[in-house]
Amino acid sequence: MINPFYEPIAEVIRMRFLRQLSLALLLAGILLTASALIVSASDVTQAASTGEQIFKSKCTACHTIGGGKLVGPDLKDVPQRRSAQWLTDFITDPQKMISAGDPDAAQLLKDFNGVMMPTLGLSTAEVEAVLSYLQNPAASAGAGAPVVMGDPQRGEKLFRGAISLANGGAACNACHTVAGVGFLGGGALGPDLTKVLTRYGGAAGMAAALSTLPFPTMQGIFAARPLSPAEQADLLAFFAQADASGQTSFPLTIWLLLAVGIAGASGLFGLMYRYWPKQSESLSEKLRRTETV
Amino acid sequence: MDWNILFFVVFPYLSLAACVSVTIYRAVYRPFTISSLSSQLLERKKLFWGNISFHWGINLVLLGHLGALLLPKGLTLWNGEPLRLYLLEATGLALGIWATAGMVILLYRRLTEARVKVVTTPMDLIVLGLLLLSGVTGLLTATVYRFGSYWFTGVFTPYLLGLLTLQPNTALVAPLPWIIKLHVINFFVMLAVFPFSRLVHIVAFPLEYLTRPWQVVIANRQADRLSANQPSANPIHKP
Repeated sequence: MINPFYEPIAEVIRMRFLRQLSLALLLAGILLTASALIVSASDVTQAASTGEQIFKSKCTACHTIGGGKLVGPDLKDVPQRRSAQWLTDFITDPQKMISAGDPDAAQLLKDFNGVMMPTLGLSTAEVEAVLSYLQNPAASAGAGAPVVMGDPQRGEKLFRGAISLANGGAACNACHTVAGVGFLGGGALGPDLTKVLTRYGGAAGMAAALSTLPFPTMQGIFAARPLSPAEQADLLAFFAQADASGQTSFPLTIWLLLAVGIAGASGLFGLMYRYWPKQSESLSEKLRRTETV
Repeated sequence: MDWNILFFVVFPYLSLAACVSVTIYRAVYRPFTISSLSSQLLERKKLFWGNISFHWGINLVLLGHLGALLLPKGLTLWNGEPLRLYLLEATGLALGIWATAGMVILLYRRLTEARVKVVTTPMDLIVLGLLLLSGVTGLLTATVYRFGSYWFTGVFTPYLLGLLTLQPNTALVAPLPWIIKLHVINFFVMLAVFPFSRLVHIVAFPLEYLTRPWQVVIANRQADRLSANQPSANPIHKP
């Protein structure tokens, strides 16, 4: 395989890597076994949650049963108002219903300030469990807890991350913009939250949303790192203040961002041109150049 | 089966295992192939503009990703002040565009320079294509889904640490926009391609250059064999 001439050198390198090879094979074996175990484990159905548990953890942020409108409609008697098929489809994937042009879904979106229900990622069995719970719910589940307003200044610091969240969640500013925080605004992975209080129908709706953060992207982070009650209160006060301030966010477009990046990259190319040591012209290049002159 | 488990749990482990084991196999049984074939003698001008910008840009950007993985606390403290966040993001974006521009120059050079084309293997083009995809999806993530330097610590630091400690959690990545997912999957593809391509030269980073004694390299061309009218390549050898 190797030219015999190089054999002695190859032998040295071979010895040097022999220990690592056995280590790597061990590592690869562990990794393969682990991934096989994980995949087989994922096929096993997760511990079945009851409809009530699912409702309390994922729905009460926006819905009550007999407690009135919150971010979304009151779900009292909803099995009588809509067909079981419609409810199943809507709970499974609300965005799909809207884009498919379902008239009832479109009307709901209009009635609730354009706040789309997040796709919760529930399995068919879980949706069925929630539906059967809605048929016969506990009295007035999710009747809004009393709204506590905290310190808006502390809320602003929590929002941009000057004070870290107690349970280790990412700061809001990473993905969300609120006008007035930083002259260029915050992140754009999630929606602009300047007017979120109005969209969510007031402090009660926003407080409920902050308590569970039932949005799929946020659930990944915050399910295990929820906001503490004090943080929820401070952030709520901050959002209320931002909503009332009437400020608008800086319109930071990707073209403006790209222009900044391109300016920086051009500067780097300029530095290369000016300062990077270049090789002198080779003889063949010199010959070719003088020939054409 | 859940696609997210395939792409964000099974595939990363397989590609990492392939990357480590095949690289070591190659180092043991094909030790002199741990390098990347230089084409500097065939074309130098475009190589200068593409090579330096690409290598410095990509290494600094990768260092940023590694920093976010290893020092998330320090990064979030830095980003807590919006002005510092903007400075970091603008720097990262400029380096990303610098690196991606370098890739475009290198790909253009590979496809148009006749002399370079002769020594170009399909794998060279695959590597450049994957790198370009990585650069473009990275730039889109940095602009459309800003501010990545901040949310990386909330999403990808726990995801990657979970992978490395055998407790993978796809809930963190599954709901992300597809461009970000493509950026991540593309990285795992590059990990799998690594040992079969010129990318292996990364493990041959010449660290010993820092400590070894100087080597003086002198070209010893015979000036008299060249045309008398032409200046010598090494005038120093002329009497």
